[in-house]
Amino acid sequence: MTRARRLARFAPLVLLAILTAAPTAAAQPAKPAAAPPGTSATPAARPARPAAEGCVTCHLEIGDERLAQPAKLFDGDIHKAKGFGCVACHGGDGKSTDLEAMDPAKGYIGKPGRQQVAQVCGRCHSDARFMKQYNPALRVDQVAEYATSVHGRRLRELADPKVATCGSCHPAHSIKPPSDPASSVHPLRVARTCGACHADATTMAGYKIPTDQLAKYTESVHWKTMSAKGDLSAPTCNDCHGNHGAAPPGISWVGNVCGQCHTVMADLFAKSVHARAFRDLGVPGCAACHENHDVQPASTEMLGLGGRAICSTCHEAKSKGGRAALEMRGIIDGLRKERDHASEILERAEQAGMEVSQARFDLNGANDALVKARAAVHAFKVDAVKKEADAGLGIAQKAYERGVRALEELRFRRTGLVVSLVIIVVLIAGLVLKLRQLERRTGSPVKG
Amino acid sequence: MEQTLGGPGATRRGFVNWVLGTSAAAFVLSVLYPLTRYLIPPKTGESQAASVTLPIKPADVKANSGQIFKFGNRPAILVRTPAGELRAFSAVCTHLNCTVQYRTDLSHIWCACHNGHFDLNGQNIAGPPPRPLDAYVVNVRGTQIVVSKGA
Repeated sequence: MTRARRLARFAPLVLLAILTAAPTAAAQPAKPAAAPPGTSATPAARPARPAAEGCVTCHLEIGDERLAQPAKLFDGDIHKAKGFGCVACHGGDGKSTDLEAMDPAKGYIGKPGRQQVAQVCGRCHSDARFMKQYNPALRVDQVAEYATSVHGRRLRELADPKVATCGSCHPAHSIKPPSDPASSVHPLRVARTCGACHADATTMAGYKIPTDQLAKYTESVHWKTMSAKGDLSAPTCNDCHGNHGAAPPGISWVGNVCGQCHTVMADLFAKSVHARAFRDLGVPGCAACHENHDVQPASTEMLGLGGRAICSTCHEAKSKGGRAALEMRGIIDGLRKERDHASEILERAEQAGMEVSQARFDLNGANDALVKARAAVHAFKVDAVKKEADAGLGIAQKAYERGVRALEELRFRRTGLVVSLVIIVVLIAGLVLKLRQLERRTGSPVKG
Repeated sequence: MEQTLGGPGATRRGFVNWVLGTSAAAFVLSVLYPLTRYLIPPKTGESQAASVTLPIKPADVKANSGQIFKFGNRPAILVRTPAGELRAFSAVCTHLNCTVQYRTDLSHIWCACHNGHFDLNGQNIAGPPPRPLDAYVVNVRGTQIVVSKGA
């Protein structure tokens, strides 16, 4: 068959594809679709390699870039690598090279409609037995989770035409596993993927939610930890909002979300007076002081009153809370000052050649105490902070005293050196004078 | 009459005086230099100790236990696993530099500051630590335990 005749043969097929694909998407029923007609509801066997699929041959040769693009992109898709072909999602007969390939009687569904996508993906991805063949650790509750998400609810209840479905985050025909740095859901790319919609004021118009989350997140300590320090376990959008079940954390459980990593602070906060007060006031736990998307490195300056202190947002200087904030700040600043003094004097002694390595080693305990005292602030009790700080103060004071003793010893040695040098110089001068005196008496130089 | 050695002005006495003067200057310098370095010592950096012999006998380290020791100025931890193997790691938590400890109830390494957990390979397995503890090499030589940074 010549190329021209072959293309002529595909012409009506192309027309049919264009006519069926888009309307199929728009005309899907609001209720979730069942398994695509003609395709198995429970894919139980590994698919054959799709190399011989007619779909790809036609789509690459018909000369319409819009239809060729999926076939080209699919080369880099994880599904192709695992042996799946076009019919796995679109149905039809992949072996046929004519119109029969897109026969609805053979299960052809064209481009799955927005309402249909989750069910199409879920046919395999919700089947634990099937998925186990490819990745036993992969979760199979994505579709169930999606139904609970804001995206899924809006799609189901409002048929929202802009809401995200599977393909919004996992671009169809070029899906890659999250571990692939080129994947749209690799930890370093998740924020950009979500931001494609959520940072776009035009797309988000009408939803009455901010569009500055991405800009704020990229200024946060979480993003800097991930992008600059290379710690891929640092949180991105899905770690706090969920991925398939994406939703804003409720006011009362923000602390539970942050507490997944910040366990010590979350436990202390949950038992504190602030946990109850914030809940009653409708203030989101951790985010009340640390923000949500724009989380900055915690600093002691956040504690106390005035300046960058956050406590003064609610507490006045003369109130019980204000006094406690000032007291806790004083304790922590005091410990830091003592630790720094001790460290400075030990460094001076060490540079002067004194052996103070044990004291410097012991001073690590004061640093531990400082870290613990800062964490104890989340109990919002002066005693809790004081208990941790007192242990560190004791260590810092002992280290400082050892530094003082080392410098005193150094001073003593240097004084001794100067005294002995003076004595030696005086002796030499005395000898010289004595020699000259002997020379004057004898009238000739003294012979050695 | 003084004996000439080289040029018209050179004498044996002059040469001897020159040698003595140079020797005296060298002597003074060799005394002053260490004295100056003693009084004004150079800046010292972090200890670069590459290995340390522990004041502990292998038999004294019980299975499922750990103890902190000094590696230069920094703390390190010697662990004997429940299976009896000796291992050593930096005891500086990779989160905020607190000193970690061995938890016999958990049979792994734990940081009290923010509840960080490390397994017996030093891998961060829970909590905020972003990376594993630095691992050291442990060699037992008779009754001595020698811990070093490299193989």
